[in-house]
Amino acid sequence: MATQPYAAMMTPDALLAQWQQFMSKMLAAPKVLAAMQRVRVGATPARGVYREDKLRLLKYESDVQPSVKTPLLFVFALVNRPYILDLRAGKSVVSHFVNRGFDTYNLDWGKPAEGDRYLGMEDYVLRYMDHVVDVVRERAGVERIHLLGYCMGGTLSAMYAALRPEKVRSLCLMAAPVDWSSKDGLLSVWCDEKHFDVDKMIEVYGNAPPQWLQSSFLMLKPVQNLWEKWVGFYENMEDEKFLEDFFAMETWLNDNIPVAGETFRQFVKYCFQQNLLIQGKLHLGDERVDLKRIEAPILNLVAQNDHLVTPSQSLPFNDAVGSRDRKTINFKAGHIGLAVGSRAHRELWPAVADWFEERSEPIGQA
Amino acid sequence: MSTDGGFGVPGSDPFTALWTDFWGRMSSAGVAPPKPAPDTIEQMRKAFFEALTKHADEFMRSEAFLQAMKQSMDQALAWQQMINQAMQKGLASAQAPTREDADHVALLVRGMEERVLSKLEELGRRVEQLETPKK
Repeated sequence: MATQPYAAMMTPDALLAQWQQFMSKMLAAPKVLAAMQRVRVGATPARGVYREDKLRLLKYESDVQPSVKTPLLFVFALVNRPYILDLRAGKSVVSHFVNRGFDTYNLDWGKPAEGDRYLGMEDYVLRYMDHVVDVVRERAGVERIHLLGYCMGGTLSAMYAALRPEKVRSLCLMAAPVDWSSKDGLLSVWCDEKHFDVDKMIEVYGNAPPQWLQSSFLMLKPVQNLWEKWVGFYENMEDEKFLEDFFAMETWLNDNIPVAGETFRQFVKYCFQQNLLIQGKLHLGDERVDLKRIEAPILNLVAQNDHLVTPSQSLPFNDAVGSRDRKTINFKAGHIGLAVGSRAHRELWPAVADWFEERSEPIGQA
Repeated sequence: MSTDGGFGVPGSDPFTALWTDFWGRMSSAGVAPPKPAPDTIEQMRKAFFEALTKHADEFMRSEAFLQAMKQSMDQALAWQQMINQAMQKGLASAQAPTREDADHVALLVRGMEERVLSKLEELGRRVEQLETPKK
């Protein structure tokens, strides 16, 4: 057959189409640069209402009439910035609550400097977080508040709820690790004490360096992060909406901050390597963190495709607490998709807002 | 054949026309192999990425990778420590404060803060005890 020698080749039509596509992509470059320059993160207006050292407590502003008295405090991880919870319009977890009339706050831990290397988990949980919770309680005039912790912020929130249960009305964990016994996540394998000397690292660097954390996260999914993502970018680079979302996400992903050395050391050692939290053997300062002391309603949001915090690290939480009102939502999303995914905003977050609303103190109740 | 490349960039049309013409000639010369459907290519790419992801994950869990990771980390830390020490010597000889000095001050302040806070807590407890019988 005459065409057989060329069977492995593309047709001239296809090659021409490819060439034209390549040209149009190249011509979209100015649009890409413009989108890069105008990238904005943060959808809901917010103002700082409390400061302590590097920490800032943000209160989201809204014209919506308050519907419940119990305020909601978001607690994010120490590794990235908390604006992922309010990344862009249509991708904001915060907006679901603000638009429902919740008094909504977000805890921005700030960027630790060299001098913060001795800050431990007890400083973050028993000092900073406790002070912030007191500020929120005082401002709202309530005894107990709702907590929503994301990732490591969820772990810290769980510790806090166990240590100061009288201040927590309900607790929602979002892709938060509490049990590190399983080694199904790559991070758990890499953090094993056989392969990772965290003491040495903190001794040398002081704080956990952000570029080091960033490259570790990147390497958890090298094919997706270094290749597939850019193929997707190339294919969609003419779509302005895609570009805006893409650069907002990239801004957040690359906005890593150092983690205070002592906190990082404790987290790796006591959580990843010794798994003390779920066993009730973790101590913060002089206090033992006993998850059984948590009696507030629990909502555990687990991301089914989470590569960073695998479901096996989050799911055991509900059996470890003393609460009777416990619920798990195992949602089909990834670690970040839980916060920014379209499906999560369509299906998950309205349900979560309902859950909080049902457990809130109504307006006007003393 | 249209010479309009459709890109709206002045000067690009003759360039596009050349290639359009070239591939048109190739086509009429009988170079027309069967072309795979776009979704087949999509599926092939997806399968390739999935296979690559699976093998990358397996590789990054392997003892060989973990050993190599540990070695490179040890070397990086040793190198950083050497730089730190050299910097420290340099700064000390210039009578400038080093990172170790800053750490020392931070530790002193922290120790002092802890002592003051525990003292305040103790005083708070004592005041509470004194006030309790009055209520």
